[in-house]
Formats: sequence, C-alpha cells, structure tokens
Amino acid sequence: MTSASPRRPDVRGLINASIRFAKTFPREFWGRLSVPERVAFLLVPLAMGAAIVTVIAIFWLGGPVVDFLGANLPLVRFAVAGTAILLLTVPTAFVLIYLELKVIARMNLRVGPNRVGPWGAAMSVIHGLKVLTKEDFAPTGADITIFTLAPVVTYMASVMTLLVIPFAPGLIGQDLNVGLLYFFAMGGLTVVGLLMAGWSSFNKYSLLGGLRSAAQIISYEIPLTLSVVGVILLAGTMSMNRIVLAQSGSAFDWFVFKQPLAWIIFFIAATAEANRTPFDMTEADSEIVAGFATEYSGMRFGFFFFAEYVNVFIVSALAATLFFGGWTAPFNWPWTYNLNWFHPLEMGFGPWLAIVAFVLVVAPQILGILVMLFGRGWTYVQASVLGALFTLVAVVGLVALAGFIAFDWVQGLFWFMFKTYVFVVTFVWMRATLPRVRVDQLMGFAWKWLLPASLVNLFVTATAVVLLNR
Amino acid sequence: MTGIWYVVGLAFAGVSFVFLVIALAWLISHRNRGDRHKGMPYESGIDTFGDTWGRFGISFYVYALLFVAFDVEVVFLYLWAIVFRDLLVGGLVSMGTFVLVLMLGLAYAWRKGVLTWR
Repeated sequence: MTSASPRRPDVRGLINASIRFAKTFPREFWGRLSVPERVAFLLVPLAMGAAIVTVIAIFWLGGPVVDFLGANLPLVRFAVAGTAILLLTVPTAFVLIYLELKVIARMNLRVGPNRVGPWGAAMSVIHGLKVLTKEDFAPTGADITIFTLAPVVTYMASVMTLLVIPFAPGLIGQDLNVGLLYFFAMGGLTVVGLLMAGWSSFNKYSLLGGLRSAAQIISYEIPLTLSVVGVILLAGTMSMNRIVLAQSGSAFDWFVFKQPLAWIIFFIAATAEANRTPFDMTEADSEIVAGFATEYSGMRFGFFFFAEYVNVFIVSALAATLFFGGWTAPFNWPWTYNLNWFHPLEMGFGPWLAIVAFVLVVAPQILGILVMLFGRGWTYVQASVLGALFTLVAVVGLVALAGFIAFDWVQGLFWFMFKTYVFVVTFVWMRATLPRVRVDQLMGFAWKWLLPASLVNLFVTATAVVLLNR
Repeated sequence: MTGIWYVVGLAFAGVSFVFLVIALAWLISHRNRGDRHKGMPYESGIDTFGDTWGRFGISFYVYALLFVAFDVEVVFLYLWAIVFRDLLVGGLVSMGTFVLVLMLGLAYAWRKGVLTWR
C-alpha cells in the first residue's frame, strides 16, 4: 500500500526527500572525492574570490599604485628580478632532485619514486617539507655562528651567480659588463662556505671533507676560468648578453665549434666545480661519511642540498650560454607570425562571447563525453572535471604556442631551458654511469693536464685571432 | 652603476631569505636536549678522542698558494682578452712572457713533486 495516491503529487514526501537529499548529499559527495579533488574543491572558490577581490582592489586603488610604481621603475625592476631569482631556485632544485631520482632509477632498470603524486612527481616536495620539519641540530663544541653562516654563504654563492645569466632576450637579472668575472668570483665563494662548514662542525670527517673539497674546487677553478678566456677573446667582451649575441645566427656560430678543446676542459672542470660524479669527492660517502655535511641536519643541511642542485643548473646554464649560443635558436627561425587579427580589443562582443562559452562550457563537455566513452568507471562529475582540466591544458598550450611564435623572449626561454636541461640530464647520466676517481688522480689531472691544455688553447686562439683578423 | 646595487640588494635579499627559512624551520621543528651522547661528534660510533682542530696535511696549503698565483693571473688574462684586438702581436708577446714566467713556477712545483697528492 503506497502512501501517496497517483493522482495527487505527494508534496510532503517530496519535501522530506529533498531534506534527506540535502542532508546526505554533501557527505556522500565529499566522501566520493579523492584528496586532490577535495583540495581543488576548497581552493578553487577561494582562488576565484581572491581574483575578484584583487580586480576590485586594482580598480579602486589602481591609480595611486601605478603612479608610485611608475615613479620608481628601477626599484620595481630590482624587486621583480630579485624575487624571481630567489624563487626560481626552489622549483629548480625540486625538479632536478626528482629528475635525478627518476632518470637514474630508469637507467638502473628500477621504477624510482612512484608513490607520491602522479609518477612520484611530488617526491622532492615531500623531501623538502621533511627537511623543513626535521630537528636542526648542532654538535656540542661546534662554533655555532660559523656553523649557521656556512650554508648561508654556500647558498648565496649559488644564487648570486644567477644574476648575470641571460635566460632570454631582455630576461636577465642585470647585464653587468664584467659579467663572466663576476660569475666566477661569486661561484668561488662556495669554497669559503665549505671550509666554514668543515671547520666549525668539530668533527674530523667534516674537517677533512671540507679541506679536501676546497682543494678540489680551487684546483679545478683554474682550468675552468682559463678555458673561458678563449671565448672572451672571440667575443671581445665579458658581458654575458653580448657573448650570446656574438654566437647568434645558426648553430655553426656557436663557440663550441670554434673552441672545441676549451669546451672539453670547461665541461670536465665544471663537473668538478659542481661536485658531480666522477668528481664527487665532497660527499664521498664511502670514504669520509658525508664530508663537510656530516654534522648538518634539518634546514641548514637543506640549504647545502639546495645549493648543490642549483649549482648543477647554473653550471649547465653557463655551458649553454658560453658554448652553445644561450637563448639563440640553433637555426634561423624561418618565419614570423602576425597575431594582429586576434587583437582582443577589436574583436567585438560576439566572438568574445563565443570563445568564452566554448572554453567554459562546450569544450569541457565534449572532452568529458570522450572521457566517459573511452574511459571506464568515470562518473559524470569526474569526467567533466577531467574535461575542464584538459581544456585548460589545451588553452594554456595554445596561448604558449602563440607566445612562442609571437614573442622572442618566449622562444629564447624555450631554447635556453632546452639546452640547459640537456646538460642537466648529461650530468645525471654521468652519475649513473661513471665511478668516482681517486683523490690523487683528481688533483694531478687538474694541474698536470687541464691547466697546460687550457693555456695552449688560449695561445692558439690568440694567434689565430692575430693571423685571421688582420 | 645600477649593477652594484643589484649585487648588494640581491645579497641582502638572499641572506634574509635563508635566515627566514631557517627561522621558520626552527619554529616548526621539534627539539629536545637528549643526553651527553647526542652532542658528540660523529666518528662512526666510537667516542671521539684527540684534538679535532689539530694538524692536517701541508699539501692543502701548497695548493692554496698555487691557486692564488694562477687566479690573479686569470684576472689579468680576462682584461687582456677584452682589449686583445687592439694589441695583437704586442699583446701576444707580452702576455706570453708573463704566462711563461708563471709556467716556470708551475714546472718548479711539478719538479719538486708538489702536484703529486700524498
């Protein structure tokens, strides 16, 4: 016996059902979401609210703020450049750590990190958080002041060098006219940090490790700096930007083809400078525990770790800049693309509405239907969220493509990053392949082979300049 | 002259960044005093003995001396390389003489066996 007759709508039952639905639905919905979906569900409205508030604030306070910024343009430029350089180091180190774990794992026929995040990609972030929350401990008898200052000096030595690296045309911290000299001067400060760490730790392993890595780094500093003199001779300047411009054109204008010996010396010495295998005397864990970092823990150790990976990036970036044309393309970019027909202010209201409707409504639905058709077990909500994500990726990709075609700095950044990461992967590859050299072979190689070879290269280059230019 | 202010400003910003992060880690990390053994320097599990800040090999010192000589040479070479196109043969001869003298020093050190690690 049913409670409601078929003729009359059961208003009370409907209301009860609605109330029950309203009571149970949020919990069921919430329970059905996975953790990242929950985070997105909470963060997206917050982000939208923040965006709306920002827009209102800009409209309300925009005039005075813009006036103030316009009156202090150099200050604004410095603030932007400094913040970008400092914040660049963190994701760079994270990406490099993950890359190293994963690439070496694949080379050893292992899987590597695959638990945290998609393909284990959040592994290094979790590592960073772990280091941040670990106890920061100093041994009794350590010289606390120097013990704390050592990672600061090491990290600073890495970050300061980023100031003169040209990422793209116009995208450089500051184009100093002594750029290369400044680079090596700041990079050389790493030795001071290592010595401070080794000395202040009150540990024999640390002391020996610090001294040993200092001896290694100063020995390889000489061939490294000498091999670059040939490049300065050819470019006639120490400004990094103008060194890149001197190599513009095609790939055959790169200095690696005019200075092959210098490139080999530079690469070997740079490997030793960045403390990478086969020259990782600094952290020879089978010989001196962990070298200068034996007594370090927590965030003070974390900054050594950061600096090491940032150094790998910097050395690769320097190799790309000096010998492989920096941000210039390896071939003449054959055509430029005119985007004027797509000018947002002259398009009119109709096309705008069509584009917005397509991006927001139609494309996610189409992609969501595709997901539901070809995937198994997706609910509608999940499918449309995935569709929206795919649309977002597609739109960002299209905009990036348009930017790549239209703006030279996007192209420059692309080529620079491409070349740099080729060298980063080479360093990782070397670590997976080569064994560590002995310490006596290491020092002898620097002084007896690399130093004379770099001087020979220098004078051959100078003679060639004399003979060929006049 | 804006370059020097960039260098100084970036150094200041970077140092404050590092100290802020270390202070943040100090705030959110756990600490306890532990016992006497916690603060002992790590020496593969045995109690430490002898003076940590004692003597170490003289060869480090010799390498440091050689480094200073050649690093100063590198500074001269960089400036010479910039203006080389105005000097040409004269620059080549004079810098060749300078480097030759330094290389005699290196040859002496080599002959004395300093460059062989012991």
